[in-house]
Amino acid sequence: MSAGTITNTIRRLRFERGEMTQQSLAEKVGVTRQTVNAIEANKYSPSLETAFRIASVFGLPLETVFQYHEAAAPARKK
Amino acid sequence: MSFREKSAWISFVVILVAFGFYFAAVTRHLLRPGAPHHDAAGHIGFFALFALLVIAVVVLEVALHILVAIRSPSDAHAPVDERDRLINLKAARIAFYVLMIGAFLSIGTMHLGATAVFMGNCVFFAIWIAELSRLGSQVVLYRRSA
Repeated sequence: MSAGTITNTIRRLRFERGEMTQQSLAEKVGVTRQTVNAIEANKYSPSLETAFRIASVFGLPLETVFQYHEAAAPARKK
Repeated sequence: MSFREKSAWISFVVILVAFGFYFAAVTRHLLRPGAPHHDAAGHIGFFALFALLVIAVVVLEVALHILVAIRSPSDAHAPVDERDRLINLKAARIAFYVLMIGAFLSIGTMHLGATAVFMGNCVFFAIWIAELSRLGSQVVLYRRSA
């Protein structure tokens, strides 16, 4: 089973909420600014708890903030 | 760059330079032609050098960490988060394997007729390489963002 990818809309949501800074979001969620930056850049997938906390800050359901994209299934050998 | 990444860089460079100097001196001494197997004066000299280097490492690390903390106090006070913990765990796992290989190779020197001092330095060398692996892995993982 190949791993899928997780993307997010945090950057857009921050700007839609009065240009909230990464530092401000980090303080509300309880992580470092560098971790928020890594999550935004899709370089780090947060724990479920942190993902829920981020969604809670924006007052949105988890799947609106984070999206899971399944990897394309490998071609079967005939 | 976060405080913890800077901290990993500081420790990596300080430990690399300090104990690199120690091992260069020990290797030159032990591998010189006609080196006696039981050179008590030499061993005491290396123990003194080692003790001095440990003190120098502690002082340098504390001074450099204070300097970095003064430059960005908010970063320095930020608690360890889940990404830091994950990076620490991954780096420690890599260092564990390096240490295990080093420990077994050090035991192997016993069968080559190595003295206790030589074997002790081999074990210490394995610890040094494992620590550098841990700190180096932390730096790489922070760069790649875990």
